[in-house]
Amino acid sequence: MPPIIEISGLRKTYRRSFRQPHNALDGLDLEVAAGQVHGFLGPNGSGKTTTLRALLGLIRVDGGTMRIFGQEVPHRLPEVVGRIGAVVESPQFFKHFSGRLTLQLLAESAGVPKERVEAVLEQTGLRDAAKSAVKGYSLGMRQRLAVAQALLKQPELLILDEPANGLDPAGIHHMRELLQWLAHEQGVTVVVSSHLLSEVQQLCDSMTIVSRGRRIVDGSVAEIIAGHSGASLSVRFPDAASLPEAADALVNAKPEVGAVVERDRLVVTGAPEAAWVTRTLADAGIYLSELVTQTKNLESVFLELTGTAPQPGQTVQVGQSVAVPQTAAPIEVPVAVTPDAGPQAGTEAEEAQR
Amino acid sequence: MNLFKAELRRIARRRLTLVFGILLLAGVVGLAVILASISTEGPDEAALAEAQAQADEMNEQNPDYLDCVEDESYFEDNEMYGWVETDPEYEGMSHKEACEHAVGGWWAEDFLWTYTFDFADEGPFLIVGVMIVAGLVMMLLGSSAIGAEWSSGGMSNLMVWHPNRMRLWGAKLGAALTACAAGVVVLAALAFGLLVLVASLRGEVGVLNGVWWEDTLELVLRTGVLALGMTLLGASLAMLGRHTAIAGGVIAGYLIIGELIVNMVSMNLSMDFPERLSLYTWVGAWITGRIELVGGYTGFNDMTPDVMVITWSDAGALLGGIVLLFAALATWSFQRRDAA
Ligand SMILES: Nc1ncnc2c1ncn2[C@@H]1O[C@H](COP(=O)(O)OP(=O)(O)OP(=O)(O)O)[C@@H](O)[C@H]1O
Ligand SMILES: [Mg+2]
Repeated sequence: MPPIIEISGLRKTYRRSFRQPHNALDGLDLEVAAGQVHGFLGPNGSGKTTTLRALLGLIRVDGGTMRIFGQEVPHRLPEVVGRIGAVVESPQFFKHFSGRLTLQLLAESAGVPKERVEAVLEQTGLRDAAKSAVKGYSLGMRQRLAVAQALLKQPELLILDEPANGLDPAGIHHMRELLQWLAHEQGVTVVVSSHLLSEVQQLCDSMTIVSRGRRIVDGSVAEIIAGHSGASLSVRFPDAASLPEAADALVNAKPEVGAVVERDRLVVTGAPEAAWVTRTLADAGIYLSELVTQTKNLESVFLELTGTAPQPGQTVQVGQSVAVPQTAAPIEVPVAVTPDAGPQAGTEAEEAQR
Repeated sequence: MNLFKAELRRIARRRLTLVFGILLLAGVVGLAVILASISTEGPDEAALAEAQAQADEMNEQNPDYLDCVEDESYFEDNEMYGWVETDPEYEGMSHKEACEHAVGGWWAEDFLWTYTFDFADEGPFLIVGVMIVAGLVMMLLGSSAIGAEWSSGGMSNLMVWHPNRMRLWGAKLGAALTACAAGVVVLAALAFGLLVLVASLRGEVGVLNGVWWEDTLELVLRTGVLALGMTLLGASLAMLGRHTAIAGGVIAGYLIIGELIVNMVSMNLSMDFPERLSLYTWVGAWITGRIELVGGYTGFNDMTPDVMVITWSDAGALLGGIVLLFAALATWSFQRRDAA
């Protein structure tokens, strides 16, 4: 089955007076397969919203091709738009209209049957708030209204830019169930951009991570996490003073091992096995009090891939995430998985094994 | 078609529409009430007698007047008033009346303050006035429907629903123009009805013959087109500026500052017919059909000034050109520009 969304080499440059032009999208590629929930991730300002706006014909692009349902967009968007429901960056609605009227006007304008309005109000939990003006809606209620209008057409493709923005825990839970039901029971293809990584980890089947307007990785969520779980070890000592000494001992024993002091513990990467660490340290006369194998979750994979992991004492500025060289192919996801990492892909705890 | 209907409904459901609608209706009814209260069908016998008495009293203080009244052949005998015999204005007047007019200087009308509303005479201009006000209000409504859509952020959502921007713009424009036409027609009809009613109750309806209808319809039709043009201009400016305030601001700014500049230019530059720089002149020419601008005297001995005639077709070409220019700009910008 061909992909529902195919984007290749998409470019968008914002030209600013008196400043250098800014490449919001710099040759971005994206493929979304049918019937999946696809996560679209990236640090702030990496071009997610810009991509979705371009896909929906809201902005012109400077290069690249986009297809939805195999049709060239934005050129042929009018033909396929009836099958697409979308929320782009918390849309705003006319403040003095009620939620119901807002939906009714949209439905009427596109010839969607009136019954759909009540159905989506019910589906998004807005039934009781439908009468009041949008002006009086809370952030989460507006977000629900935005999702409601995206669902009006019973779309085959649902594009949601940060749908969980402002939702309460029950709302997020409900949204997850709704999207999964739509994708897995109704065959709707869903694209969500989100910063709630634990949410993405639970919700999405596949994902694309972008940084500075380029794709850095894509594939199934489980595989991406597994592929980057080169297990690291966290080691603690009864006396924090022995941390530098222990680090030296490990690096001296095997130069390819990485040992970084992180507050009261030592993070060891590239060690052949946990036993080797214990033995080497014991040989050096250092005794450890705790040794934990860390498996990564989506958050740490994301931080690693995008280069936005927090550094002590400094803030990662917007736009400082990793830049993929123009010529480089996107990082291939290793399909081979270390036996113990796969099943833990869905867990949220940072330290899964103790 | 669905989109157009939805857009029309969007305008109709706005609170501003309700407010403006009530204000306009109240304005027209108020106009009728004011006319009804100041118009009378003419003085009654007692008021006429009293006014005549007052006029007589004033005239009687003038000895010449008394002489005139007493002497039937006053005008023939007095060579100063010889012209009275031949003046057509005095034909058919009684001798006393002629004395009042020629010698005394006071007559009954001077002491009667009555106003009689004459529909045939004054009605068309009142209706045109109502239509212009209605047109301005509908222009505000139409442009704010587009401007508010932009500034509230609803426009990009609508564009996601309707990616064909020309269709969207067409539907929005069509809805604004339809609302304008409906508003202006309803108010003009209401004004017509109320004014005829007032005239027949407390004034004079006058002769509404074929010529009257022809003239009035022409006037009303051109004013209606003006209202539509204003709405088109307002909607285009709102589309260009993506905000109601910008549309309103540009128009108000032109009408105030633009006119100020026109006045300054006309004072400082020795230009013929400086009035032609003012948009009001052209709007006036469009509505009334013809305007004559009187220029300065060209030579020292030349006593006939230059005259510049602006007909409604000249004005239509200029005003239409301006409106279409902005409409084209708005269309182009909406087609090309990124949605914020
Ligand atoms: N209208 C605009 N004018 C100029 N630059 C813009 C404009 N819109 C977006 N950008 C720039 O494009 C880049 C990508 O922005 P975009 O909104 O796509 O980021 P994002 O991935 O959605 O971020 P976030 O996670 O914060 O929503 C940013 O660097 C932003 O500064
Ligand atoms: Mg965004």
